[in-house]
Amino acid sequence: MVRFGRVHKYFVKRIILFFIIMLIAIFINFMIPRLTPGNPIVTVIGMLLRQGSRFENIDEIIDTYERMFGLKGSLPEQFVRYLTEIFRGNLGYSIRYFPVKVSVLIGRSLPFTIFLLGLSTVISWVVGTIIGLLAGWKSESNLSKAFSYVALVLNVIPYYMLALVLIYVFAYLIPIFPLTGAYKGSLGMNWANIEFIKSLLWHSILPSMSIIITSLGWWFLSIRSLVVDLKGEDFITLSEAKGLKENYIMWRYAFRNSLLPQVTMLALSLGGIVNGALLTEMIFSYPGLGLLLFESISTADYTVIQGITLIITLSVGFATFIIDIMYPLIDPRITYEES
Amino acid sequence: MSRPWTSIRKNARARQIMGGLRDLFSSREFTAGFIIFASLVMFSTVGSALVGYDPMASVGPPNIAPNSQYLFGTDSFGRDVMSQILHGIQLSLIVALLVSTVDTFFGSTVGFVAGYYGGLIGSALGIIMDVMLVVPILPAIVLITVTVRKVELWLMAMILSLFGWAAPARQVRSQTLSLKAREFIDVAKISGARRSEILFVEIVPHMLQWMSAHYVYDMLWAILTEASVEVLGLGPQHMMTLGMMLFWVIRKAAMYRNLWWWWITPIAVLICLFVSLYLMHRGLDRMVNPRLRGRR
Repeated sequence: MVRFGRVHKYFVKRIILFFIIMLIAIFINFMIPRLTPGNPIVTVIGMLLRQGSRFENIDEIIDTYERMFGLKGSLPEQFVRYLTEIFRGNLGYSIRYFPVKVSVLIGRSLPFTIFLLGLSTVISWVVGTIIGLLAGWKSESNLSKAFSYVALVLNVIPYYMLALVLIYVFAYLIPIFPLTGAYKGSLGMNWANIEFIKSLLWHSILPSMSIIITSLGWWFLSIRSLVVDLKGEDFITLSEAKGLKENYIMWRYAFRNSLLPQVTMLALSLGGIVNGALLTEMIFSYPGLGLLLFESISTADYTVIQGITLIITLSVGFATFIIDIMYPLIDPRITYEES
Repeated sequence: MSRPWTSIRKNARARQIMGGLRDLFSSREFTAGFIIFASLVMFSTVGSALVGYDPMASVGPPNIAPNSQYLFGTDSFGRDVMSQILHGIQLSLIVALLVSTVDTFFGSTVGFVAGYYGGLIGSALGIIMDVMLVVPILPAIVLITVTVRKVELWLMAMILSLFGWAAPARQVRSQTLSLKAREFIDVAKISGARRSEILFVEIVPHMLQWMSAHYVYDMLWAILTEASVEVLGLGPQHMMTLGMMLFWVIRKAAMYRNLWWWWITPIAVLICLFVSLYLMHRGLDRMVNPRLRGRR
């Protein structure tokens, strides 16, 4: 009973902290554009004028736009309205594609980012973990040491630099894979169509390769050091003394025990996939959040940039919160008490 | 009376430093990283004294492959790639040193204060650190640079530091919290040391090695993040940084046009920088955590 009470307190504390953190993050996001010069209304009206629109009651229009962009009233009033709109899923209007809503633009890009990053992260994790496990088990062999140095270099190569190399290799030298886009345009976006899914996978090969290869190093190194540590543990020595087969010990004892931290790290990086590979998407014109961000930068569409920042903040924050709460449940050695 | 004593202490201190350096360079990783890093620095300082081209100006015909006059060729604007690289390394290092210095000192100070004095201020600082760690760095920097519009190099460094101080602060805070509970702090308290004295004499020295390891790692982070922001076409526009080179490489599709000298060089130089800093960081980290030393 005492233990339950402590757990309960931990949860409540964590939840309150999560809301405070999110509130401050939203506040920062709210303040940045308001602290800097530039007025979206002037931009939008200027754009409409250039497109040949005529304005009769300019004051009334400015009034409407002020309301649409949430610039009416004092700052605290604006913030409260901003918060309530966010809870309704409304992130305001794009300046560039006015009057399209930011949430519509993000909603269009998000599935592609989640698909690309989710797939790449899982593949990279599986491959890196298996190679790292074997390398850790045979840590004295030269091959294992050579792999570690390769992994060390891979670990510090930014994914977008590998993306540039891949473009050169597969666009200029061996042109077999599609270089841009996420699917064949003529198919249309239809997640139920099998041809569409095939095309989607085919197009994702190069962008995902850039992410998979560069993140392999990290998975490799982390599980390798875990296994090397485990090899010195008494229960491994005991099972060797019992005469168990080496493969059996490796899979049943070393692998199982080193898997837990590795799974936790997978969960953590899946939580951050929205923030994943913004620049790879831009280089391959892959229509995810990264490309949207890049296009918004070139057109100074800062309501969209703001929306993307907010979405990423909220999802990363939420994922970290969930993992914080789950961690003591997964690993009983970690207590709920504050250290 | 006091002179021989101080000179012994000085000697001891000098021997300690020499011993530390010997330890450091006995680490193969640190030595390898240091050699690569030092060669890059030498290359860029000696090189820019010898190659006199303005990295921003068209000095020759466009898209020329490497030859004796343009060692790394020219880009699509007829600018000398070698000069851009030499200049870019220096700009990257300036940003890295600025960011790392601010992050490590400001971050650690906040961490010490939050951890040692605790209380309401400590918790408030802890929450601010948590917030800063949740905010996604790249989009947030993009948002700031887009709204600020004209970004100078030092301002870029400050924006990076705005997001870089929280990680060391959090680490120092949790370390300070655990150090505070050790016996030797109680001993110092009983012997009548003041709070600030305990902080500076008993706690800060324990963190110095960790801070130096973080300093090197933070340089890597700063160069990487700055390059990423510039690849998007943001940051100091009138300066040819390594990231800005990559922006033009992408904009002019150099990979598709087989202008290999233009894109391979900045990528190779950046990767050498990252690898050397990472190796030095690992070497330093092993000194801090002797437990890691056996690992290969």
